[in-house]
Amino acid sequence: MTTERDGQAAQPANASAEIAVRATGMRKVFDGVEVLHGVDLELRAGEVHALLGENGAGKSTIINLLSGRLRPDGGQVALRGTPVAFRNPLAARRAGISVIAQELEVVPTLTIVENIFLGAEPTRHGLIRWAEARRRVVAVLRELGVDAEPDRIVGSMSVADQQLVEIAKAIVGEFRVLIMDEPTSALNLAETERLFRIVRRLRADGVAILYVSHRLWEVFELADRVTVVRDGDRILTSEIATTDVDAVIHAMLGSRSSLIADTGRPRRAASSIARASKPVLEVEALQSGELLRDISLSVHPGEVIGLAGVLGSGRTELAEAIYGLRGIDAGAVRLDGEPVDLREPKEALRRGVFLLPEDRKSEGIFGHLNVRENVILNYDPATREPQRTAVAASGEGSGLRRRSGLAPIRRQAERRAFDAIRAALSIRCSSPSDRITALSGGNQQKALFARAALAHPRMLFLSEPTRGVDVGAKEEIYAAIDAFAERGIAIVVSSSELGELLRLASRIYVLRTGRIVAQVSAGETGEADILKLMAG
Amino acid sequence: MTVPGAIKRLLAADSAAAVMALISVFVIFSLINSRFLSSLNIHGIIVSASISAITGLGMTLIIAMRALDLSVGSIMGFSAIVAAELLAGGVSLWLVIVVGLLAGAALGLCNGLLIILLRLPSFIATLATLSMILGGELLITQGETVTIRNATFSRMVIGNVWDHVPAAAAVAVMVFAAIWIVFHRTPFGRHVAAIGGEIRAAVGAGINVNRVTLGVFTLVGLCAALSGLMAGAELQNADSTIGAGAELTAIAVVVVGGTSLTGGRGNLFGTVCASILLAAIKAGLNVANVSSLYEDLVFGGILIVALMVDGLRRGTRRRGMLVV
Repeated sequence: MTTERDGQAAQPANASAEIAVRATGMRKVFDGVEVLHGVDLELRAGEVHALLGENGAGKSTIINLLSGRLRPDGGQVALRGTPVAFRNPLAARRAGISVIAQELEVVPTLTIVENIFLGAEPTRHGLIRWAEARRRVVAVLRELGVDAEPDRIVGSMSVADQQLVEIAKAIVGEFRVLIMDEPTSALNLAETERLFRIVRRLRADGVAILYVSHRLWEVFELADRVTVVRDGDRILTSEIATTDVDAVIHAMLGSRSSLIADTGRPRRAASSIARASKPVLEVEALQSGELLRDISLSVHPGEVIGLAGVLGSGRTELAEAIYGLRGIDAGAVRLDGEPVDLREPKEALRRGVFLLPEDRKSEGIFGHLNVRENVILNYDPATREPQRTAVAASGEGSGLRRRSGLAPIRRQAERRAFDAIRAALSIRCSSPSDRITALSGGNQQKALFARAALAHPRMLFLSEPTRGVDVGAKEEIYAAIDAFAERGIAIVVSSSELGELLRLASRIYVLRTGRIVAQVSAGETGEADILKLMAG
Repeated sequence: MTVPGAIKRLLAADSAAAVMALISVFVIFSLINSRFLSSLNIHGIIVSASISAITGLGMTLIIAMRALDLSVGSIMGFSAIVAAELLAGGVSLWLVIVVGLLAGAALGLCNGLLIILLRLPSFIATLATLSMILGGELLITQGETVTIRNATFSRMVIGNVWDHVPAAAAVAVMVFAAIWIVFHRTPFGRHVAAIGGEIRAAVGAGINVNRVTLGVFTLVGLCAALSGLMAGAELQNADSTIGAGAELTAIAVVVVGGTSLTGGRGNLFGTVCASILLAAIKAGLNVANVSSLYEDLVFGGILIVALMVDGLRRGTRRRGMLVV
């Protein structure tokens, strides 16, 4: 099904245009594992070239290689026919390759104009020519529709405006190649439309544009050609006119697009208790700024629901809103029918809600403690129940709730509890007193599940539960989640891996631009359909 | 920048508190004792404020870069001692000044090298060099006080220019102008603020963080050496007590002046105001017959209030930005 040379067949008017970038056989190895297997990519002057692929397909690696953030382990990049090897991002920038990074890279304490010219200030006799810099910035800001003085401090602006400053940074100087990595993830529709106008103008000026986006409709509206990568290989390069959404999704997913679930194990239907009992969590008509609108969902005991959505769809924001980390403008969050405001982790824990964070390293594990200490953090042998006392230091480490008191720790009881849970979840470590950081990603995650289990939760909120976890441990984690559900715990899984949601959840809510656009039953819907719903 | 724009920037909200405190301190102390406004007292305030402002201006850049330099006090003493020894040895005044300044710059450069080569936090590295430099001072002087007998040298600090202005103030104004231009008008200065504000973005913009770090620490070493020379010229002798505790004064004038310890911004004008403020309070306590033993208590209290104000201001800012 690979269509390696599709692009050569039908050539539009600008096909004879100069090749701005030709990358051949790009390879990249991380920790001995090759993640990019000799990918070719060609950008013509005056084209918008979309780069698509699932998470982990190799898009970011390609961008980082082209922009000097990473150095290739093989292959060659030629700029207008001249081979180049960038030592750092600045060298790429000087060669005319401008990048709009996915993550915000602005200095919040500096002004718009200072940020835009940072590292490339126009000077005369060593002094910055602020007047000239301001003049150039005013023009760019107007084009981007940012209503702010160039001397405005960036940290005082909205996230969307900060993203537009990031874009202004990339397009203010001289460049022949523009790489845009998810530039619209924080923008609303009007801002996106303005950005598209700019992209089209740059294309008309002969700039070669590499456009990365999860939003397929953007790609089909904007791009001239599309390249799809999967698992580090280029799968397809085609003129947009000669392909369609189905072909692109098929190329992105490969053999998996025909499967409903990826494990072969039949999806357990929502248990009957789930339907009969009252919901543990109810979210009703939730509204938070522009990022979340009219969100309603519910989770019953013993039920696993999934949250699907691309970056910027509101998936992360929804979790934050439920946890009180994000202001709620309208609507309600109810636990067991009672309105709640879970402003702090300790409050969530007191109500039996346990969160496994997306960023395990910084928010989950305690790197300086050993495995057992990490697992028994919440366990109180005196009550065998979650403690009901407030503690200090609850902000750090999900689920830290041991009373910071002076009562002696009961080693024996803790040891027994640890051994039992370690066996149940098959946490592999040579000794319970190993540093937790010595464990594999999967075993670290299992240790966090063990911590959650000892806290006797009523509800679990899992964010990217298998990120950075190898395939074998993944199955064990899935089994653990199933086991939690069988014990009647209500579970919400938020994941960027559709296969995972289909494997675990009975119902999946699909989010797009801050709204729930669909609720699907896992047993009846395939990955391709959900991907289409996510992309809009 | 237009002239009104420049004035607006000077009087930005961040320095307003220091300016207002300065005015009230002058009003209160002159009401307590009219001797506070005597020309001798004012002269003393301006000289001492000038000396602390020069180091404070360098420290403003350090703090804007989200670093600290605890060795500035010892560098002050070191350069004063070097100058005193050389003058006693008959070296010409101008050469002495140049060597004294270069000694400070070199010590600052060493601080910078320690920080970038050993990847030490700046306050740890400069705490270590503080101790080493003090040790060096004691070895040079053998614990003695070195007398400075050079009328020209002293006149360059406590003499008057244009009849009434202390020479020290003229030096401080020139240093202020130079550092203001460096900080606001050169790429180097903006890179200092960028590193302190968000180092990831600074690196992404291709800024050579190591080079900027070396530059800033060299600059503050130079400033401290100048302050030290001026202190020696004022006192007409030099020993290791020159600059003792001056690192805390320098940090205090920066923070009281409205520069946040969280980095990314620096308020040079506020630093100057706060230097005058602290010198005025010190002189005011003196004319109000408060024992000088209370000075440190009062200064510590002022520092805590300034840090609280900074914390409150940051708190509101942070809340406004929590949505990220």
